[in-house]
Amino acid sequence: MASPSVVVEHVWKKFRRGERHDTLRDLVPSLVRRAFGPRSASLRPEEFWALRDLSFTVSPGEALGVIGPNGAGKSTLLKMLSRILRPTSGRLALKGRVGSLIEVAAAFHPDLTGRENVYLQGAIMGMRRAEIARKFDDIVAFSGIEEFIDTPVKRYSSGMNARLGFSIAAHLDPDVLLVDEVLSVGDAGFQQQCVDRMRQLIARGTPVVFVSHNLPAVLQLCTRVMVVDHGTVLFDGQPAAGVAEYRRVPWARKAAAVERDARDVQIGRVQLLDEQREDAAVFAASSRLTVRIGYEARRPVRCHFAVDIYSADGVYCAGINSRMDRRDFGVLEGGGVVDLAFPRLALLPGCYVISVGILDAQGLGPLDVQHRAYPFSVASEERDLGVVHLERAWRHESYASVAAGASAAGGLE
Amino acid sequence: MVVEQFEYREVLRQMTLRDLTLRYKQTVMGFGWAVLMPLVNTAVFSVIFTRVARLDVGMPYPLYAFCGLLAWNFFASALRFSVTSLTSNQILVSKIYFPREIFPISAVLVAVVDFAVALLPLAALMLYYRVPVGAPLLLLPVVVLVHVIFTTAIGLLLAMGNLFYRDVKYLFEVAITMWMFATSVLYPVQRVGGRIGALLGLNPMTGIIDAYRSVLLLNAWPSPTLAAAALVSTLLLAIAWFAFHRSEFAFAEHL
Repeated sequence: MASPSVVVEHVWKKFRRGERHDTLRDLVPSLVRRAFGPRSASLRPEEFWALRDLSFTVSPGEALGVIGPNGAGKSTLLKMLSRILRPTSGRLALKGRVGSLIEVAAAFHPDLTGRENVYLQGAIMGMRRAEIARKFDDIVAFSGIEEFIDTPVKRYSSGMNARLGFSIAAHLDPDVLLVDEVLSVGDAGFQQQCVDRMRQLIARGTPVVFVSHNLPAVLQLCTRVMVVDHGTVLFDGQPAAGVAEYRRVPWARKAAAVERDARDVQIGRVQLLDEQREDAAVFAASSRLTVRIGYEARRPVRCHFAVDIYSADGVYCAGINSRMDRRDFGVLEGGGVVDLAFPRLALLPGCYVISVGILDAQGLGPLDVQHRAYPFSVASEERDLGVVHLERAWRHESYASVAAGASAAGGLE
Repeated sequence: MVVEQFEYREVLRQMTLRDLTLRYKQTVMGFGWAVLMPLVNTAVFSVIFTRVARLDVGMPYPLYAFCGLLAWNFFASALRFSVTSLTSNQILVSKIYFPREIFPISAVLVAVVDFAVALLPLAALMLYYRVPVGAPLLLLPVVVLVHVIFTTAIGLLLAMGNLFYRDVKYLFEVAITMWMFATSVLYPVQRVGGRIGALLGLNPMTGIIDAYRSVLLLNAWPSPTLAAAALVSTLLLAIAWFAFHRSEFAFAEHL
């Protein structure tokens, strides 16, 4: 494996809470201290650690997704990788040109035209003038705002702004790419264009660090996921397992728990089990996957269970429910589990996410639903494209001998 | 850190260009303002010092004042842009990395362009008064260089100071006015005697502005005070740059 492009070793970052109350009287001593004094590692009462002892590496070809609740330290980490902040202690090293897709259009000057801003922004991102000139037409074409390129940016809509900003960043050809929630800009078409562009870079081997709350996008793009909370790494590994871990941690549950109170029946613990009947996030293709749905019925109810499978890029792969399967569980009361087993999982390698629902007796109205809550991934050596592995057989029959026979027969006449 | 400046020279170029383009777009007169202000001031002070209180400066007073005001105007306007260069580019400072020195340095470069434009009316004035020029004029680039070094050093310190303490911007306005009257802009401060005179002798700007007059107007070689000013400026730039560099990682946190 190539040596890592991003190395983060034991990084700590200290921040200060509250307002600063410095007066001009402190100006000179504090400037002197800041410029020449040692950086202290001890913590004063108004200070806190935003990152604690963070270590990881990213190698070429890897796309690392960083997920975690607000305030976990994700953006601080990204700012440190882009050299805007410096760690209190520890070491960060990035190889080559670093491209940041961090609020890309924010730096545009409103009074300059789109064209002028492309040159300014390109330079800020580290491009040479000749390079910008060479890529200029591509950048403008990608953004799709050719006719407004000589209009001052202050007359642009926010969407146009973002498109132009992303287009410049997308043409940077960086050695390391940092992405912070930019996929929320533009319309659906443009977002897809952005995702495709990121895919291209990843496929080319550009290491990517992607900070996002958009879990489907993380599953779709990343080869590895790191879960961060309170400035430390909780999990680092396989994307589906990472997202599963993120879901398991209490913060994700809290929000969901509030609205579920007085229901007749609700979904309890949901597990994805492998052939050994153990919790898993990664499944071998054609192996057994069991979805175990726990339920909690406060009153006796008749109901049906539903499971939907989506691929990470949102394709609806399968929708299964017990009513369509003519399966009746009778009247449920108290707690229990329902198992749905797929003996030979026919999905191709990739990331998927499962929605689980409990439906009413007619199998129509939902009593409790958890949308796209349980990710998993499939690993195999399959080379098929698409989402499903179809059982198949090939056969070959050539008409050449028949035709040859026919012409031979014609020759005889 | 100097190597880094070179790598990012395109940003410096674009930032300077940006500020110049903006000025040209937003104002009708564009570069005209760079010429007009010193001209108006020259006219006003010429009336005061030739009609009201006669002042012998050894050359036509308008020439003396215009030359001094041009050089001073460059210094003051470069610093005025530098002071707010970091705080008015908050988004860039807190979102994207490139060497932060670029902001104050491009502010100085914009002022250099204005200065170059304003040298044209000075040339016209010199023709009008038939000022002889000779070999000392070759030292003009050296004088400008010393001036730019000194301005950049002060600009770096002010930009950094204003980022941490916004009072610096207001304090600057007061200080720059006082500083002008402590410099040989409108009258030779060497004539101030006593302890105040000794104190004023330490002001590097006097050495620099007098050097402009020597090479441009007096056809004479600059006095050794220019060498002293050059030394002080270079030393100050080294210190300012080092301090700026050490604290630039704190910038994003303090905006």
